[in-house]
Amino acid sequence: MSALSKDQIKTLEQSRQRLIQLTHSLASLITSLNQGDPLPPWTSLQSQATIISNNLLTISAHLSDNRDLLSNIVAYPDASYPSRVPANNVALEQVLRTKLDPRVEDWVARGRHTGAADYGLVGTGLGEEVLSELWDWAPVEANQEARRRNWGGNFTLEERENGVQNVVTGLRKVLEDDDDEEEDSEEGEGEADEMEIVGVRRRSGAGAGLEFDIAAANPAAVAASSKVVVPVVPLDEVLRFMTTGVMPGQR
Amino acid sequence: MHELLLFASVPAHQHHELLQQLAGLTAMQPRHRVERRLVFKAHRQPGLTNTRVGASQDLQGAELQRLNKMLNGGMFYTQVVGPVAQAEFGAKPASSGGAADVYMSGMEDKLSTPAYCYEDQSWKLEFRDIPEAGTRSAVTARLMASAALPKGDITIPMNAWGYSFVTEYVVEGDVFVLNDIVIFLHRVLLYPSGAQESHGPRRQLPAYRELSPLERTGSYVLQAAITVQDGGNQEMMKTASQHLFGLREQLKSAVRLEQADRLSLDTRAK
Repeated sequence: MSALSKDQIKTLEQSRQRLIQLTHSLASLITSLNQGDPLPPWTSLQSQATIISNNLLTISAHLSDNRDLLSNIVAYPDASYPSRVPANNVALEQVLRTKLDPRVEDWVARGRHTGAADYGLVGTGLGEEVLSELWDWAPVEANQEARRRNWGGNFTLEERENGVQNVVTGLRKVLEDDDDEEEDSEEGEGEADEMEIVGVRRRSGAGAGLEFDIAAANPAAVAASSKVVVPVVPLDEVLRFMTTGVMPGQR
Repeated sequence: MHELLLFASVPAHQHHELLQQLAGLTAMQPRHRVERRLVFKAHRQPGLTNTRVGASQDLQGAELQRLNKMLNGGMFYTQVVGPVAQAEFGAKPASSGGAADVYMSGMEDKLSTPAYCYEDQSWKLEFRDIPEAGTRSAVTARLMASAALPKGDITIPMNAWGYSFVTEYVVEGDVFVLNDIVIFLHRVLLYPSGAQESHGPRRQLPAYRELSPLERTGSYVLQAAITVQDGGNQEMMKTASQHLFGLREQLKSAVRLEQADRLSLDTRAK
């Protein structure tokens, strides 16, 4: 068994460094998710995700570049390794494992499965026709789905039916199930901050295209806004009349 | 006494909503208030202005000087305010002589149509100085004094004091009290013109619906006021303005309370 060359050691060292970077960025994402209450803004989450994805890319490139070397080298304990200290044994055992950790094996299996599925698709892809059909179908279907939901709550209807307490939110703070208030406010004429759901349906008659109808805003609000009348006499004039009896505009 | 004020104009369509908001904020129901307000203006008493100044100055005693100053120095508009009930508008005038009989004989009649009796109208004199100039705090501050006046016809005593009747109007609104702040959401109603000439206060009131708002769109004025007994106490004045600013913050999303234009509250008679 020959000793490793300088280049090979450098490659190993690089892999180690990059893996460390990856674990660091993963750890920072996890801490920000755990400690941010409320959750950190999506911009920061997204930038962290980008960093992690870049890390993964470099690691993947690095690993495949040095595939020959990395698949051929094996670890073995040096005689000088202080294996009698029990704390060191853990690391030793990790290094000497020939099979993957069962958990990791699962991940790998899942990854391979997904990869295989994607790989299978790459060749075939979707035909133009199928794609346009999909695009035709999607907005209407998504809209119908959206209309079925009760927007503005912490839980979906299914979650509520199955019992809110069973939902794994992954959040530390306890979400309130504000179902009752919600129903009340819906009976009262809608809220200003409620999201408007845009109705989409196929335009009847000729041609392609969709019709959008904005859900009518709260009719009471519309009526009120039409009644808005700006006072014609400024406040100063009113006060002046109250003080000295000078009619507005007579000054 | 001093009065610290903030004002806001409230469009008619917002009035109802603001009433609800104020009721919620102050945790009280609005107290409806209808007032007759008479505006009087000081005039120079003939014969008192011709004191000669100059050579004879040293001959005037200090007493006389002070009297002259009091009589001729500041000439102000002042208001006489009388509370009325909405039901008293349009009621038949109760003759002052027969009032006792009405009380004795026709109680039901009296209850169904409450009569407005000018002789029984109570009055309050409200003096307001022009708001202080150049105050750094963004509230209107002015000297004020109020005094109860005798009931009944007020023009004679007012004339005797050198005030002449200018005009009158009705203020209708709701009062709320929040800690030390008196919130008055009101508007000015005018008497129907032509019915009676303005040589003196009306002895009887027209029907309430005949009154027309000064502001044609029916907008209201929101007034937040704190009265400070000792206007010289800067600490107290500062606390009061802070309270008003607190209210302004609370109502920020509904109305914008502001300092009034000083000259629009100018009570000096020129």
